[in-house]
Amino acid sequence: MSEKIKLPDGFRSWEADVKIGKKEDKVTIGHWADGCKGCLICVDVCPKKVWKPIEAKNKYNGQLVTVVKADACIKCMLCEIHCPDFCIKIF
Amino acid sequence: MAFDYEKYLRMEKIPHLWCPGCGIGVVLKSMLRAIDNLDWHRDDTAFVSGIGCTSRAPGYIDCNTLHTTHGRGLTFATGIKMAKPDKNVVIFSGDGDATAIGGNHFIHACRRNIDMTLIIVNNNIYGMTGGQHSPTTPIGFKASTTIYGNIDPSFDICLLARAAGATYVARSTVNNGRTLEKYIQKGLANKGFSVIEAVSNCHTQFGRKNNMSDPISSRKWIKDREIPLAKARSMKADDLKNMVITGEFISEESDMERWENYNRALEEYTKAYGDLIKKVKKKK
Repeated sequence: MSEKIKLPDGFRSWEADVKIGKKEDKVTIGHWADGCKGCLICVDVCPKKVWKPIEAKNKYNGQLVTVVKADACIKCMLCEIHCPDFCIKIF
Repeated sequence: MAFDYEKYLRMEKIPHLWCPGCGIGVVLKSMLRAIDNLDWHRDDTAFVSGIGCTSRAPGYIDCNTLHTTHGRGLTFATGIKMAKPDKNVVIFSGDGDATAIGGNHFIHACRRNIDMTLIIVNNNIYGMTGGQHSPTTPIGFKASTTIYGNIDPSFDICLLARAAGATYVARSTVNNGRTLEKYIQKGLANKGFSVIEAVSNCHTQFGRKNNMSDPISSRKWIKDREIPLAKARSMKADDLKNMVITGEFISEESDMERWENYNRALEEYTKAYGDLIKKVKKKK
């Protein structure tokens, strides 16, 4: 990937080297904690259990999530597509 | 690669007011991706809506937007399209907005075959006004006005649109964001009236009264009832009760019987109207 990844302000990011099939790739997972309402859909849809809920809450009283296994990501984009709050970005 | 939603949104209004896990966000995202795939310019596009949870969607899109009266989104949109036939018009509507109070406008917009796209987010209930039952609440399910279970048979929005004469009709659910994107894109590209029904979850009002008060179980309830149209054709009517039949009901490729086409408008409405004006002017 030659172009520089630019996440919007307020996004936390996790980076990892992943293997998708036989192809080596790099993944950047971004999460916007201030906009997250804690619906936990990302935890539910992820086939590789990359996301995990944590105890911390934000100002909307949403239960926050964190990335626990960034290297397991297969870039299926399910979490990005199904996040109703525009909080997840996968590069 | 991540999609740049910020390009199309009024970011000062985000986070939006919908409940955590509400499916309308997924539908809005699918629509923004579809618009991006078609390369529509924001100055050439208008978003119109009525009243309801779904109808808040145009407020978050950085385009020409109009938030109108309950059920009348389609009438305002028809006015925009008649005045500016070269612009694109998209209407957001909920199930109560489109089929209950705006039911008459809905069938007549289908009948005219005017080049607009109607996206109906069907969450089986009136969410914003306090959980009253809507024309799409399934039989036996509870709402704040049907506390012992609903006994009114529900509308099938896609079959209604098909019978009324819409030229693209499809249904998908919030569990399939990519399919929704594909259907919305085809609907937007179609030169005629297109209806896309997105079956969504309302765990706050509908789910709370029916033992699925979190988004995960509410989405699973929809997923368990999904049946593709091709499979549903070979099933008995009794087995299809309360099921969500997904797929394209009317499209260019759909294999309709010839007699089913008898009532379908051949020409797009604004074009037919323009031709009529030219004809009348020539006579004078």
